[in-house]
Amino acid sequence: MTAQVSGAANEAKTGSILAVTKARYVYPRGNVVALEEISVDVPAGQSLGIVGQNGSGKTTLTKLMNGLLRPTSGSVVVDGMDTAKYPVQAMAAHVGYVFQNPNHQLFAPTVADELAFGPRNLGVSEEGIAERVAEATEFFSLQEVLALHPYRISFPLRKLVGIASIFTMRPKVFILDEPTTGQDHRTTSTINRLIHELVDRGSTVICVAHDMPLLADVSERLIVMWNGQLIADGTPREVFSDKAVMGRTHLAPPQITQFSMQLPGRAGRPPALSLAELVAEYQTPDRAAAREA
Amino acid sequence: MQMNTAMSHVRGTSWLHRMSPIAKLSWLVAIMCFAFASYNPWPLFAIAILGILMAASAGILKPILRVLLVFAPVTASMLVIQAIAPAICSNNCHVATTLGPLTLYQEGVSHGLSLTARVLSMEIIAIVALVTTNPADLFSAFARLRVPYLLNFMVSMTLQLIPVLTREVQIVLSAQRSRGMKSTGFGSVIPSFVPVFAGAFERVQQLSISLESRAFGSTGTKTSYRQIEFGTFDKIVAVAGIVVGVAGTVAGLFFWSAGKTPMIILPVWLTVTIFLIAAVMFVGVVVAALIAIARS
Amino acid sequence: MVTDSYISISDLTFTYAQGTRPALSGVNLEIQQGEYVALVGLNGAGKTTLGLCLNGIIPHMLMGQGSGRVRIAGQDPWVTPVREMGRIVGMVFDNPEFQMSQVTAAEEVALGLENLGVPYPEMVERVAAALGTVGLTGFDERSPMALSGGQQQRLAIAATLAMRPSILFMDEPTSNLDPIGKEEVFEIARRLNREEGITIVVAEHEVEVLAEYADRIIVLSEGRIALQGTPAEVFSQVDAVAALGLRVPQVTEFAHAVEGGTGELPVTLEGALTWAEARR
Repeated sequence: MTAQVSGAANEAKTGSILAVTKARYVYPRGNVVALEEISVDVPAGQSLGIVGQNGSGKTTLTKLMNGLLRPTSGSVVVDGMDTAKYPVQAMAAHVGYVFQNPNHQLFAPTVADELAFGPRNLGVSEEGIAERVAEATEFFSLQEVLALHPYRISFPLRKLVGIASIFTMRPKVFILDEPTTGQDHRTTSTINRLIHELVDRGSTVICVAHDMPLLADVSERLIVMWNGQLIADGTPREVFSDKAVMGRTHLAPPQITQFSMQLPGRAGRPPALSLAELVAEYQTPDRAAAREA
Repeated sequence: MQMNTAMSHVRGTSWLHRMSPIAKLSWLVAIMCFAFASYNPWPLFAIAILGILMAASAGILKPILRVLLVFAPVTASMLVIQAIAPAICSNNCHVATTLGPLTLYQEGVSHGLSLTARVLSMEIIAIVALVTTNPADLFSAFARLRVPYLLNFMVSMTLQLIPVLTREVQIVLSAQRSRGMKSTGFGSVIPSFVPVFAGAFERVQQLSISLESRAFGSTGTKTSYRQIEFGTFDKIVAVAGIVVGVAGTVAGLFFWSAGKTPMIILPVWLTVTIFLIAAVMFVGVVVAALIAIARS
Repeated sequence: MVTDSYISISDLTFTYAQGTRPALSGVNLEIQQGEYVALVGLNGAGKTTLGLCLNGIIPHMLMGQGSGRVRIAGQDPWVTPVREMGRIVGMVFDNPEFQMSQVTAAEEVALGLENLGVPYPEMVERVAAALGTVGLTGFDERSPMALSGGQQQRLAIAATLAMRPSILFMDEPTSNLDPIGKEEVFEIARRLNREEGITIVVAEHEVEVLAEYADRIIVLSEGRIALQGTPAEVFSQVDAVAALGLRVPQVTEFAHAVEGGTGELPVTLEGALTWAEARR
């Protein structure tokens, strides 16, 4: 089919699984410009973090990425499919969007039914569905709650069910909308681990979050949104070091990063992203001096 | 949603805006009663035109016309349906004219005109009153009129929740469509609504604790932050409204009721023109709606 | 006779009517007037339950089995009606929008005063003052539903401030806000505490911020107080806190990894820089 061929060619050209090209979005009512000509190429298997204040356009960007919104101008191509040419239901097999509030998804009588909903919509056979549900149960450790009503389990578990119900659709790209906002440390750690595991399996994970320590740990690349514009795109280390960008967007790097940036005798060295890194550096000063960003 | 934005308050300083909400309510009820009691379309069309003139003088003509556009298909449908299938005459209907395969009946056109006039007049007056009144003032007016506090609160809360729940439905639909759910058909009803209800339930739970913590359940006199004007002049206007309402309703029942209204016979060309305009509005909007649904 | 602390809780145990295990178990807590106390703990540890016991929502509105003794500014919330407790304890919750119900922001702030029957001229004054304190002057006619999350939360705070409480309980007030919103709320809490002397009891996860502003940290675990003390005292016990599934400020964890020992560790960025300087 022509669409597939051109899509494949596009992917081969850029090597990206998700290509946002000069995408602009204007809300139909009120003519509000939410996004101004954003271009982002995401290679397959990348772990991308998107940060920005509420109203910066980050949510609009992610909705363009899964086809919920279509760009007013420019294009968004995911896994070879142009979002302007396919309905969001068709995009769902390729890019999964986990909404911030799991309650916005949950409706089924049991967790198992919830996990089966996505693949069933995609037309997967019953055996296939059973296999995927089993896989998700294993991956997310949901054995104990499989037969329970989604609203009867704790909110942190519901968050996991929310992600798991997208997991069963086996998309190549996962978009997680504020996965740890409002969660306690235990749940945040679980989600942190899950993101690492998804990336290890080869999935592309895009995380929108305010949780800087989380992103410092899971993301290999960060983009910063401000007023509908993409104002920074780099590794977490690069972005956190950029005081101008951080100041302008009222975002603060993780405390450990700020600490490392203000430590006397460490000037000129790239900031530390994690505790482990800084501790290792502190204990072996020579090795640290030789380390690259 | 279209309806909500159509009915929302438009700020202004016209005489209508400055009129006390209680006086406005009084006149609104008065005119509604008159419209209910009357069947003869001419006085009703006169009220409708009066309403348009009031809207123009208050500077809210554009919003009024926009709302009318939203209600046009419903209003038009009455005329269209009555003309081709009148409710009031069974076997002895007189034919006004034929239009291709359709037969327009005289009684139907007449009846349709009356119904349309009634709906149009009530619509226009109600919207003119609502659009020029700040909702907060409206609820203060109800409170002043000794509507029970809880009822007033519930209505005001519901009004607030309409756009909020609409938004929630949109979010839920987006979430489920992102999981491959097709928008139509039986399978889409439960996944669309259960989450909204669950969310609404959670909201009410938290809200009631928040309200309770602010002395909500207390018995005893409550004071009102929002003060509305209801001076002597306003009282006179309100009483005038009641008087006119009663007189009007009586007049309507006596002079302009169904029994006293002769069948309206318009020249054939006029009948056909009116019918065609109504039919186009009705059919056009229905088709547009179907296209929009199919696309979503 | 020993006078009670401003907030005095002895041996408080409470099980919700539908609950299988106690939400609070033998909690003993003394809070002085003007203190800034932070409650830290996993979801379900009892932070919200404890807060709802302060103004009488538990047991008057949310029912269950309770025992123990609670005195708030001399009042017994188990006896005093919630309406009266509202004049002493203000409550702010985690979802800003769920606390809104009125058509305009000013009316939202005035709601409590209307319910208490405060006369009109005084209401006007108090509403203006409350809006000013939270930085929402001029927002009177705005619709609460149309405000941003941070603005809504500030409005919720103003709505409690209008009732002039001397204690403010906030249940994870910043968890649904973006970084700017979080800053705004923490700044207001700090100002209310330092400048107006309002006793603050806040349940939160943002340990870095709490370490900076709180006078005392109370760590709750499964309905019991597991640890309490100044931020330095509590967060220095890095292993104990980690065992409870919680975390300490990153700089504290760093100092612990590098230095170890049982002494007090820095808990703020500034403190940590000073500590690092001293070790050079």
